[in-house]
Amino acid sequence: MNILEISDLTVRFGGLTAVNSVSLDIPSKQIVSIIGPNGAGKTTLFNAITGIYEPTSGRINFGGEEACRPFRWTTALMLALIGLTAALSLVLIVNVEPLWDAAITTNYTYQQAFLVSKAVGAVSDYFRQETGRRFVFPFLIGGLVGLAGAYAIWERTRRAPEVAARAGIARTFQNIRLFNQMTVLDNVLLGMDSQLRTRVWHAALRLPLYWRERQKSEQAAIEILRFAGLDQEAHQLAENLSYGHQRRLEIARALAMQPRLLLLDEPAAGMNPAEAQNLMKLIHDIRDRGITVLLIEHHMLVVMGISDRIAVLDHGEKIAEGTPKEVRGDPRVIEAYLGKGHEDAPAT
Amino acid sequence: MATRRTIPFHWSFLIVAALIPVIELAFPGNHHVGDLLRPIFIMAMLGLGLNILTGFTGLLNLGVAAFMAVGAYTYAILTCDIYPFRLGFWPATLVTVLVGLTVGLFLGLPTIRLRGDYLAIVTLGFGEIVEDLLKNLDTITKGTQGINPLPSPSVFGYQFRPETYQPWYYLFLGFLAVLVLLNRNLQRSRIGRAWISIREDELASSCAGINPMKMKLLAFALGAAQCSLAGALWASYLGSSGEPGNYDFQVSIIALCMVIVGGMGNIGGVLLGALVIMGFNSIVLETLTSFLKAHQLISNSNAFTSPGNWKYMLYGLALILMMRFRPEGLLPSKQVKAEFHPPEPHASPPPS
Repeated sequence: MNILEISDLTVRFGGLTAVNSVSLDIPSKQIVSIIGPNGAGKTTLFNAITGIYEPTSGRINFGGEEACRPFRWTTALMLALIGLTAALSLVLIVNVEPLWDAAITTNYTYQQAFLVSKAVGAVSDYFRQETGRRFVFPFLIGGLVGLAGAYAIWERTRRAPEVAARAGIARTFQNIRLFNQMTVLDNVLLGMDSQLRTRVWHAALRLPLYWRERQKSEQAAIEILRFAGLDQEAHQLAENLSYGHQRRLEIARALAMQPRLLLLDEPAAGMNPAEAQNLMKLIHDIRDRGITVLLIEHHMLVVMGISDRIAVLDHGEKIAEGTPKEVRGDPRVIEAYLGKGHEDAPAT
Repeated sequence: MATRRTIPFHWSFLIVAALIPVIELAFPGNHHVGDLLRPIFIMAMLGLGLNILTGFTGLLNLGVAAFMAVGAYTYAILTCDIYPFRLGFWPATLVTVLVGLTVGLFLGLPTIRLRGDYLAIVTLGFGEIVEDLLKNLDTITKGTQGINPLPSPSVFGYQFRPETYQPWYYLFLGFLAVLVLLNRNLQRSRIGRAWISIREDELASSCAGINPMKMKLLAFALGAAQCSLAGALWASYLGSSGEPGNYDFQVSIIALCMVIVGGMGNIGGVLLGALVIMGFNSIVLETLTSFLKAHQLISNSNAFTSPGNWKYMLYGLALILMMRFRPEGLLPSKQVKAEFHPPEPHASPPPS
């Protein structure tokens, strides 16, 4: 069973083709590594999977469906509401002063009774004259602009990162992106937040649901921190952690999202051999929890040690794929890393 | 969670503020410190609204005075008896808050994808547009005169009078306390976490499943609602909507100064910022001016020597000095403070 199926994916930035018709199937509950020289398009591939970049062409299928917002009846309702609001607002804005005069000023004398029915009658009288100019035209323009604007925003954010995240794709970044001013615990809690049902009013008034979910999520967060070996530092600021621990915290935050697929972008970068060993163990443990891991890594010891499968990218194209053993012996891989005539290249 | 034995600044501020009129009873006289504190409470509410936007979510807003103006004018239209609505204090306040919420959404929706400086420019423009609208929409807003007189509110059967200040004082303090409580609750929930994460790193936040558009809109709506509540209370206190010029760019800047000087993203900091900036404005400057005049050190004819005319330069100077020497504010949030004073040296746990 493949959890992620990338077919013919191309990502182009102007004239630069960062990823060129790459197809890749990620089997469920395995560790798959993507390797390749710098600038091969590995991180671009990650960004396309997580919805940060819109693919120029091709499909990304996650768990049997594309990770983008579906067009439901609630979407249509929301668009219609925004359009209607914009339409009525424009009608109001265009006519505001005469409308006020008709409804309020002429119907109200100081401290006398005010009849709502008379005001409503005056308003409908006002619109009955010159209906086209006063009502229909601004209504159509406002509705059109509102509807088109709302649809454009919705369309452009269909494949947003949060959509991929909520579908079950979590990731870490090549250059660590933690919330530095938040505590370690809060960083992990944030990963869980998208699963909570606490709404503004629950939170503002501290209704029972807030307390229940807070207790539950804090327990779960501590659990995850323990798993990542960070529970001692739960109340530290993320910024104050050591580099290796920051990497682990980023993984912990991703795990808190309860993902089905975890993308790790160079998790071992800058780690010493002991830290890299620990990281390998952590990645194994994550896989054993039933989470598929997709890994970008330059650290060959890590890659060869833990990967079930490896895909090799070069200049945006996939040049090889297979088990670590197959990839290691592939002449095209050796060429990509060491160049042609590699007998002249320095030994690695 | 670890228990902290110190009372947070915002609670001690509110408690001390609640005691001031009682203490003043012991010292009868014409000069009331409590009287001067009322504008501070109003500005603190404005600051709290801005704090949600700028302090928590990191959306620089240079037009909060517009939200306050919307609140003041809505409240004035709803209560003044030259208009047919003539609502009481509570319904008018409620409607005003709802209107503020909507206006925040209206400003938030089209600007949702703007960031940083661009958003600041749009909000600056919004502030100017609202001021101009209020000036020119004569039939509704009475142009530059403002809407007045407004009836003094009657709360729970008690009729407020302009000449006794204590009821007003406790009314505003009560509202401020409620806002502080609500803001604190929000800050320590997933809502506040999401806001702060957007401020810290929007991309990472959205990759963690937070919908930044939704949370920013929420921040706009709630921030604007609080600012318009401040406006409504201000109008009820003045007995007038005030003229449009009362809600100009300077008010927005003062609110921003309060948030920055006090400590971004910290509720207690906003209260302290309001106390410092407004206290400086209405207590220190006034006293200084009258002192200098009494001793004939300055003359009325020379505008350059009056301290009051220097205040915006002094605010600017204060901002520059803050940015240089204490960018985290006078009373930074616990998180920022912890950065400078780590709680205790800890042993690195053995890696699992």
